[in-house]
Amino acid sequence: MAGSLIQVDTETVTSNVSSVSLTGVSTNDVYMIACSNIFFDSNDDMKIRFTVSGSADTSSNYDYAHRAMYNNATMGSTGAENQSSLDTNQSTGTSGTNSINLIMYLFNFNNSSEYSFVTYNNVHRASSNTRTGFFAGGGLLTEAQTTDGVHFFLGSGNNFANGTFTLYKIQS
Amino acid sequence: MAKTLEQFTTECTSELQAKRDSSDGIYKNVNNERLAINDSDFAQMVIDCANNKLDVQDNGYIKARQLAYASVQDQLDLQYWDSVNETTTWADHIAKVKSDNPKPS
Repeated sequence: MAGSLIQVDTETVTSNVSSVSLTGVSTNDVYMIACSNIFFDSNDDMKIRFTVSGSADTSSNYDYAHRAMYNNATMGSTGAENQSSLDTNQSTGTSGTNSINLIMYLFNFNNSSEYSFVTYNNVHRASSNTRTGFFAGGGLLTEAQTTDGVHFFLGSGNNFANGTFTLYKIQS
Repeated sequence: MAKTLEQFTTECTSELQAKRDSSDGIYKNVNNERLAINDSDFAQMVIDCANNKLDVQDNGYIKARQLAYASVQDQLDLQYWDSVNETTTWADHIAKVKSDNPKPS
């Protein structure tokens, strides 16, 4: 039988919230997160942490690398280790025309003896300079533990004003 | 003058507390419910805000310069025409990017 996507959790934001938590990873399958039409109440960077029993792991054990591509600026590669979160986009966006749209895959989250990994592709558009950006990258939490989801928040303490965040299990 | 992490922490605490106390409040989305943040959430927001401000202050010029520099291809083109015309457009471009986005002292 062919595999299928099974919806595990969905969070719909229509009023300002400072963070969004998607949880429900409970098997060893690969999981996928789809985020669409995300924008903020003020320009900011969207960051993520992994959740342990529903709460964000705020340790400084996140490593990441991504390629940042822009329509009107030099492309660049960015990477860092021992960070307190993973960075997913350039500063965006306060309306639907300056939104973030992202697909992320989650690996090993339910495995207590392995690190948790994600890969992501993210197209977005900055409000301040109408710069289209595409980030392709990945990251991990270098702690061998079970993680059960992803916590989204903004670097400068602003709010998500809109967006749909959905977690799917990829049933093999 | 550059601010310290402690100064940014004080600044963020004040800004976020004002937002939390206002009619807007500060909320989070969990289990598709919009809930008021708790004190632990607030404390983490202050830490994240202060660290972010410190990073922007200390390292923001690096990202700004990366975005402002012309592509390698365009810089090579500038250098070629500088060699042909005995001009300094490439050096001028680099100098302008640096002066427009100064390294904090």
